[in-house]
Amino acid sequence: MDQPRTDEDQELVARTQSGDASAFDQLVIKYTPRLYGLVYNMTANHEDTNDLLQDIFSKAYKAIRGFRGKSTFYTWIHSIAVNMTLNFLKKRGRRFQLSLDDVDASIQNDKEFLEATATSSPVREADLSELQRRLNEAMMKLSDDHRAVVTMFHIQGMPHAEISKILRVSEGTVRSRLFYANRQLQNYLDEFRKNPVS
Amino acid sequence: MDEFNDNEIAKLLRLKRYEQPPPGYFENFLHEFHRRQRDELLRQPLWRICLDRAQDLMLRLNVRSLASYPAAAAAVLVCAAVISLKIYQQPETTQVALQSSPALSTSTHTEGEWTLASPVAGRIFRMQPLRRFDASTQTHRATTPRYVLDTVPVSYEPTFRF
Repeated sequence: MDQPRTDEDQELVARTQSGDASAFDQLVIKYTPRLYGLVYNMTANHEDTNDLLQDIFSKAYKAIRGFRGKSTFYTWIHSIAVNMTLNFLKKRGRRFQLSLDDVDASIQNDKEFLEATATSSPVREADLSELQRRLNEAMMKLSDDHRAVVTMFHIQGMPHAEISKILRVSEGTVRSRLFYANRQLQNYLDEFRKNPVS
Repeated sequence: MDEFNDNEIAKLLRLKRYEQPPPGYFENFLHEFHRRQRDELLRQPLWRICLDRAQDLMLRLNVRSLASYPAAAAAVLVCAAVISLKIYQQPETTQVALQSSPALSTSTHTEGEWTLASPVAGRIFRMQPLRRFDASTQTHRATTPRYVLDTVPVSYEPTFRF
């Protein structure tokens, strides 16, 4: 996913800071789909994602007067989103039951998905919907911090440097979390391949 | 069968970006955002609204950056202290000078009483000794100097009367 143009964001931020609420509306429209993907893949629940997104933009609107442009708006809004989501996940704890798979029905008709599954032998051999469900389960087995890194890197397509800025950790930490998370996901999916009915 | 490698996992995860919320979600999101903002504003107590406005004002004025300069704040305090000292010192000196000349002020009063033909005249008499008093305090002359030669004062001692 490409990063949005920062000069355009700067202008919208400046207009919002001077009291133009419609400029912030444009930022909301622009960033909602991107942040939805980020929050949804971390929470795995549509209702929670919706509530969190509303809170994220509300908080951003209140705090935007204090935004001095030391980072890009893209990094700033993503930092708010990730921090608020991680706080929410800590509060939610273990009482959560996975419900990610209910929105994934349409993905199996997606062209890129079909191409990917047609060329990859272990994926082809597995039941696609089951594989998808297992992947979601594997994601939810990761710790919140690891899931955040996996979501930003693999799903959102962000570079390591950007993730390190958002999470305020070193690039080395990002890489190590990513490596560990990949190993965990790999182990979980291999286990499924060996014992598909478990 | 091959094992899942990093690329395959990455490929599978990348597909998750195509997962979308229910249709119309993004279109309604902004309306929902506005509605929640209004509701939140209505639910807030008055003090909270005032506090938010004050915070906004502080941020607009960039007070935080000013507060980060303790030297500037200290300089302002020092200036204020010096100015207040100056202000408090001035009335004290005037008061001392007035208290040190009871005889003169009494004579002024009596002079005014004797010649008080009209209020205007009285006012003139009251003003004149004050001027003379100010001049005497500046030059430390208790009485009129006694001139002997070429209008040069040779002594400030009062003349003796027998």
